[in-house]
Amino acid sequence: MVNNRYFRALCVAILLGGVAFAFQRGRNRLSFLQDDDAPEPYPTDASEKTEWQFARLRYNSYRQQAGYWGVRGSWSTDAPKAERHLAQGLKRLSRVHVRSVEEVVDLDSDKVFDYPWLYAVEVGHWDLTDAQAAKLREYLNRGGFLMVDDFHGTIEWEIFMRSMSRVFPDRPVIDIEDKDAIFHIVFDLDDKVQIPGIVMFYTGNTYEQDGVKEKWGGIRDEKGRIVVAICHNMDLGDAWEHADLPQYPERYTSMAYRIALNYLVYDMTH
Amino acid sequence: MFESLFLYSSRLFSKGELLFASGWPVWLLVVLCLAVVGGIGYVVQQRHGANLKGARWITIAGLQALVLCLLLGMLWRPALRVTALKPQQNVVAVVVDDSRSMTLKHDGAAANGASRVAVAKALLNDGLLDRLRKRFQVRVYRAGANLERVAGLDAVTGGQTTTHLGAAMKQMMEESASLPIGAVVLLSDGSDNAGGMDADALGEIRRRRIPIHSVGLGAERLVKDIEVVDLDAPQRALSDSRIGAAVTFKQYGFSGQKAKLVLMADDKIVSSREVTLGEEGVPQSETMLFNVGLAGARNLKASIVKIAGEENENNNAQTRLVNVESLKPRILYVEGEPKWDFKFIRRALEGDRNIQLTTMLRTTQNKVYRQGVENPKELEQGFPDKEEELFKFSGLIIGGVEASWFTPQQQAMIKNFADRRGGGVLFLAGRGALSDGGYAASSIAEMIPVSLVDRKGTFHRDPATVELTQAGRDSLMVRIEEDANKNVERWKKMPYMANYQETGVAKPGATVLMEALPTSKGRFPLLVTQRYGRGRSAIFATSGTWRWQMSQDVKDMSHELFWQQLLRWLVTETPPQVSANPSRQVLLDEGQIDFRADVRDKAYNPMNAATVEARILGPAGSAAMVPLTPDANQAGIFTAKWDAPKRGSYVVEVLAKNGKEEMGRDVFTFMREDGVAESFHAEQNKQLLEGLSRQTGGNYYTPETAKTLPEDIAYSEAGITTRETKDLWNMPALFIALLGAKAAEWMLRRRWGAV
Repeated sequence: MVNNRYFRALCVAILLGGVAFAFQRGRNRLSFLQDDDAPEPYPTDASEKTEWQFARLRYNSYRQQAGYWGVRGSWSTDAPKAERHLAQGLKRLSRVHVRSVEEVVDLDSDKVFDYPWLYAVEVGHWDLTDAQAAKLREYLNRGGFLMVDDFHGTIEWEIFMRSMSRVFPDRPVIDIEDKDAIFHIVFDLDDKVQIPGIVMFYTGNTYEQDGVKEKWGGIRDEKGRIVVAICHNMDLGDAWEHADLPQYPERYTSMAYRIALNYLVYDMTH
Repeated sequence: MFESLFLYSSRLFSKGELLFASGWPVWLLVVLCLAVVGGIGYVVQQRHGANLKGARWITIAGLQALVLCLLLGMLWRPALRVTALKPQQNVVAVVVDDSRSMTLKHDGAAANGASRVAVAKALLNDGLLDRLRKRFQVRVYRAGANLERVAGLDAVTGGQTTTHLGAAMKQMMEESASLPIGAVVLLSDGSDNAGGMDADALGEIRRRRIPIHSVGLGAERLVKDIEVVDLDAPQRALSDSRIGAAVTFKQYGFSGQKAKLVLMADDKIVSSREVTLGEEGVPQSETMLFNVGLAGARNLKASIVKIAGEENENNNAQTRLVNVESLKPRILYVEGEPKWDFKFIRRALEGDRNIQLTTMLRTTQNKVYRQGVENPKELEQGFPDKEEELFKFSGLIIGGVEASWFTPQQQAMIKNFADRRGGGVLFLAGRGALSDGGYAASSIAEMIPVSLVDRKGTFHRDPATVELTQAGRDSLMVRIEEDANKNVERWKKMPYMANYQETGVAKPGATVLMEALPTSKGRFPLLVTQRYGRGRSAIFATSGTWRWQMSQDVKDMSHELFWQQLLRWLVTETPPQVSANPSRQVLLDEGQIDFRADVRDKAYNPMNAATVEARILGPAGSAAMVPLTPDANQAGIFTAKWDAPKRGSYVVEVLAKNGKEEMGRDVFTFMREDGVAESFHAEQNKQLLEGLSRQTGGNYYTPETAKTLPEDIAYSEAGITTRETKDLWNMPALFIALLGAKAAEWMLRRRWGAV
């Protein structure tokens, strides 16, 4: 009984400490990021029907404790600014007929099959059910393509693989070689670098957690085509999102745009 | 009866010429008749007009005038002038069909009935020959592959494996040059391996003016029989491709019953199904799809398993050869922008080991991404600007790339690609395609199988479903289910396409196989094909079929199958530089065959300066070498005649050289079958026999009506003839008419009180 009372007090103290830390952190946010999350103006051509549309995967994550889509989960990180910036870039750089706005899809309906290109962010937090894993497998086998991004270090990798290995139990994650077509299809990406997230402004590092070295990973289908492109220890989403931020190095944004275009055109040709 | 009334047979009347033999002018007869009619009319009206109503005195006058006019006509001596054969100075050729089909029963219904040849011999031996000999010199012949004179009917046994009636009759006409042949009597069932009488032979027979009188033997329709009439399969196919074999069959006596249809390739069953037999005598057709397998000559046999009670089981199968080629035709696909269909078409073709897809995709304004090139240099400079470079491909797909992207020279090359090279060109939809791509105003428009509407905004990213047209239901190109009805239903259930493009109406000669039904409005031609020069062109007005793949189970192969079949259609008939063909794929009981080669240079212009020879590999390892000679009338065409000596399969490789340089080679197959054809078309071909007699001035008889034949054939314009005039004034029919008219007049006058 006594122990129980101490335990409750400890919990309250931790909670108050956490709130205070969070408040303090917010106050310490860098000044140039203050307005960075301001909503984007809605594009005037948003209703245009196009060949390609940025499809963001909505998934259930470990940190969502209250119900399914009850709270904004990690799936929506950088949205919608990242995809809208990327859409503008793809329009300018390619002949792909691109829609200015994004679409959110999940693995609980068949709508996902109308979007053969899919982006999932912070998959170091995702937690697919068996049914969702099976649907993602079916999606990829029919010809869909998944790009995953913005997860870092050993722990998040393990969480990512916990679900991914149920999607493809028999297909290994490989390191995509520099000479692979995916890195040369539109731009020659021999000079790839680790794409850092906004966190580098706090830490001064281009990596997060223990994810020091970037990984250009992939999963191939039975014909050798890459169907899952894995950007581990990187954050291309931040590079797209902060493309209009003078403080964010242009070389990272530029590289992230080129990688996205290569991945997209690879998907549309393989 | 006819002869009792008119003295002579109706056939004599049909051959003769009616005239008046008195020598008095005919106009005088006409004037007298008119005078008689007028005079009698006047007298009767004066005498009886008051008592009889108009119609009654006119009837009385008419009957009286008829009697007088008939008498006047008889005074003028009506007669029939005919040309008749001089007795014993003319030859009548009796030709008996000696082919194996003559051993079938004459009357199909009689289980123990006599054979056709036995009926023919009995008819001749039981008096017909003797009566003919009383009037003419008679020569007996038997007809098989050739015409052969025989001493007696014992030599006719029905033992020959083949009949060529046309050739036999032609040979007879040649004999008539040295013989006074007055008529030919042909006893036959009309079964002919050559499929009937060719115009050449018929023309020659008519020129000689020798009447051919035919006596038809055999039942006009069999009582219980199933016959596989035809097996239609492509002569060539790419290895590992799925092709269709159309089996046509007909039956008598089994309507409504089930039968098993089996298709075998090299003695292995590749498809079988149960069919319900339809209406008697009406051909019905079933299409069976199968994979032709690896390269080589494939012996295809379609058969219907014998049903209990069937009269003739030897006509239950047909055989064909399919030459399965190991070619890997290449298709060049030019696309103006990245799109999902591009990816999924490529994926669909990855399942086809025999078609090589080379693609050029404009990824950015100035970048073209190439896939499937043979070497890094290929197409490095963009779309080919030399015919030799473009003509290496067998098919061309033009996606959403604007017409102006091609130079005028390249546009001309694209047309020549189909027209001269014989390739297939497929146009797809897109923002920069068809009308939106400016094709309506380009020179390429003439090869597009629809009349494009000349405006922009025809491409719509709206859902549209597919519906097969009647032509589409019959076409194997869009057959994703083997059964035609199931195929229609399957297409109805296909997921909608992501987009469609408005086209114009199909051009004359083009075939619409599919229509797009947008959810928003109307319907538009979707898949349209046409011949264009030596090649073909098609339009497929969507780029949204990727939904067929993404919206269906991964195991569903309809998307892959559709594209594989469409693109195989695009290239299968694209000829190589040297293409060769036989005149017939199956020789029946004879070896005569023609070879034809079409030789072209690298730009596919006809080339005469070539040495062309055929290397033939026949049954049991036999081999031959035959040179082909240039055709004087057609540039680039080389021909040869050859005689296949034995039954079996033949493989022919045609090789063309220009000096020492090899220009190309082509391989084809054919087969010779002996003793098979006579089992087919076993019913009497009355149409052939009747037509032959009618066109030569003869008559058609059955064994029962042939008794009058000796008299009928006495009148002919061939041979040594004389002109005969036969009086008709004494015909009983005239006297009966006179008596009848007078009796009728007497009876009417009594009745009407005008005596």
